Amino acid sequence: MAELNAVEIRQVSKIFGFGEFAFAAVDNTSVSIRQNEFFTLLGPSGCGKTTLLRLIAGFEYPTSGEILLNGENIAAMPPFKRPINTVFQSYALFPHMTVAENIGFGLTMLGKPKQEIKSRVDAMLKLVRMEALAGRRTSQISGGQQQRVALARALAPQPKVLLLDEPLSALDYKLRKDMQIELKRLQAETGITFIFVTHDQEEALTMSDRIAVMSSGKILQVGNPREIYDAPADRFVADFIGETNFLKGRIGSVVNGVADVDTSVAGRISATVPQDFHAEGEVTVVLRPEHATLCPPDQPAACQMSGTLENVVYFGTDTHYHVRLSDGETVFTLREQNKPLQAARFSAGDRVGIALEANAARVLRN
Amino acid sequence: MTDAAGTIEAEQSKDIRKRWLLSLPALLIILLAATGPLLIVLLYSFLAPGPYGDVQWAPSLEGWIGVFLEKDIFDETLSLASAHISIFMRSVGLSLVTTILTLLVGFPTAYFIATRPEKTRELWLFLITIPFWTNLLIRTFAILEVIRNEGLINGLLIKTGLIAKPIQMLFTDGAILTGMVYVYLPLMVLPLYASMEKLDFRLVEAGYDLYATPFRVLRKIIIPLVKPGIIAGSILVFIPALGAYVTPSILGGGKNMMLGNLIELQFGQGRNWPLGSALSITLMLIVMVALLVYVRNAGSQGSRHG
Repeated sequence: MAELNAVEIRQVSKIFGFGEFAFAAVDNTSVSIRQNEFFTLLGPSGCGKTTLLRLIAGFEYPTSGEILLNGENIAAMPPFKRPINTVFQSYALFPHMTVAENIGFGLTMLGKPKQEIKSRVDAMLKLVRMEALAGRRTSQISGGQQQRVALARALAPQPKVLLLDEPLSALDYKLRKDMQIELKRLQAETGITFIFVTHDQEEALTMSDRIAVMSSGKILQVGNPREIYDAPADRFVADFIGETNFLKGRIGSVVNGVADVDTSVAGRISATVPQDFHAEGEVTVVLRPEHATLCPPDQPAACQMSGTLENVVYFGTDTHYHVRLSDGETVFTLREQNKPLQAARFSAGDRVGIALEANAARVLRN
Repeated sequence: MTDAAGTIEAEQSKDIRKRWLLSLPALLIILLAATGPLLIVLLYSFLAPGPYGDVQWAPSLEGWIGVFLEKDIFDETLSLASAHISIFMRSVGLSLVTTILTLLVGFPTAYFIATRPEKTRELWLFLITIPFWTNLLIRTFAILEVIRNEGLINGLLIKTGLIAKPIQMLFTDGAILTGMVYVYLPLMVLPLYASMEKLDFRLVEAGYDLYATPFRVLRKIIIPLVKPGIIAGSILVFIPALGAYVTPSILGGGKNMMLGNLIELQFGQGRNWPLGSALSITLMLIVMVALLVYVRNAGSQGSRHG
């Protein structure tokens, strides 16, 4: 028998309001989250990812559908009975308690013996490297430290699943990077299933085992970061994750999963076709900016496209170029890595050509 | 040159020293309006009573002796004024119970208002303050109308045949309590609401998330965090309840007196102004001591927690 999923969402809907004001925050959604997985719910604000998290935590009850935890339906169970803990976006640390009292709160409520609580709190303080501040009030520690306390508090009762609601959004860039690594370490050390909510696609790509991309209450695609990035299921996912160029064209013959697409701006290009996908006529082809390079416009053999360079944006590690293609409408973005002491090859206003790397183009499912 | 500068400086510092004169009107008002009458009361408590009220300008401790002791009618020996002491005890007791009852009723009320959507909260607060629009006397007579023997409750019960004779509700401690809880409830709800409105309800969710049952969330999270409101509300109810006059005199009748009525009696029919003054000062002292004890206890716990 296959291992039970840690959490299984079965056709869950959550509808707020009544009548004509009814609004489905989560719309007939199903997803399975495996044991010991770092699973991320990714989407823009208002997509329903936080509502889905709150349904799992028990702060909201689904309008319909089932939520299984290790095979048991917990959809109607109150939050204080679910072996699931949450790291809140604002941390929600208890201001009238010390760091150690905060961490021990869950264990105290579970009625654990004093000795066990103490040793567990000490272990947690060590795990998040906060031993020195155990007696401090939560108002006397920094944002990053509060974040660690919130994590320790949620991990202390050894939940089956840990929910994290955009826990890094309030931290500055450097601290956020450190905490991302820290979170991965904690997940590996504790072996607890993490369900992580974020709107930051980069965070999702770097941290997750699998990602579910959500929009308007629905899950559009579930997959590991590479699948999500390289083979986006639809236009929304392609647009939301990383930068993407969309080109329209007519699909021709398909051989071994590679289609011949006739685009107006780039002529005929070969594009990978998703499995079990059959389309005729108009299709959209996606191209990632890093899979194209600029080339001199006087070498038409090497360049599939040409246009006028509108913008050059220097990013340190790489430089972004925005090129208005020859049709006068489409702006194509591409990204080149910067080499040491290399002067910009082109500047705004130049006529440039664009060369696409092999296998760069991909036909999108509508 | 330096001389001139010196004189200017001297002028300036003279001006600065005179500046306090500008606050003279405020100081006079504070002295006359707040401290003045109190000083008169204090002075009167050490004078002898006049035959038809008022005081005689002769120093006397009789007023103060009369607070706790009374002369035997026949042989002038002093014994404990049991009537006064029982009125003191009743006043403190009734005020404490009033405070507890308003807290028990006011807490859920304030919580209810604080958890409403922001738009409707103002309406609920507005409803809470409606009783303030009506004169206290009229509100108290309204309660009297409800609970008197021929009143609303007894009338209904007799009409429906549940009882044959009216239940005596008026002129009991219960009647006084009902009246005082009704009158002082807004004073409890408003400060409670003020601190509950500031309560971060995500902390309540965090409590539920960490296996706390609703009762334990209330005890371990909500109550410690709204404690300032509980303290303020209790003070605001206890102090006026201790000196309440209108409510106990109408709903308690002549028998069930509270301190306020006892004091009024000395200035009225009793014609014993020094005793009334001494009783007033005693009431003030009780309030001050109660406040000190309460604030110190609550304060020390507050600094440990918050």
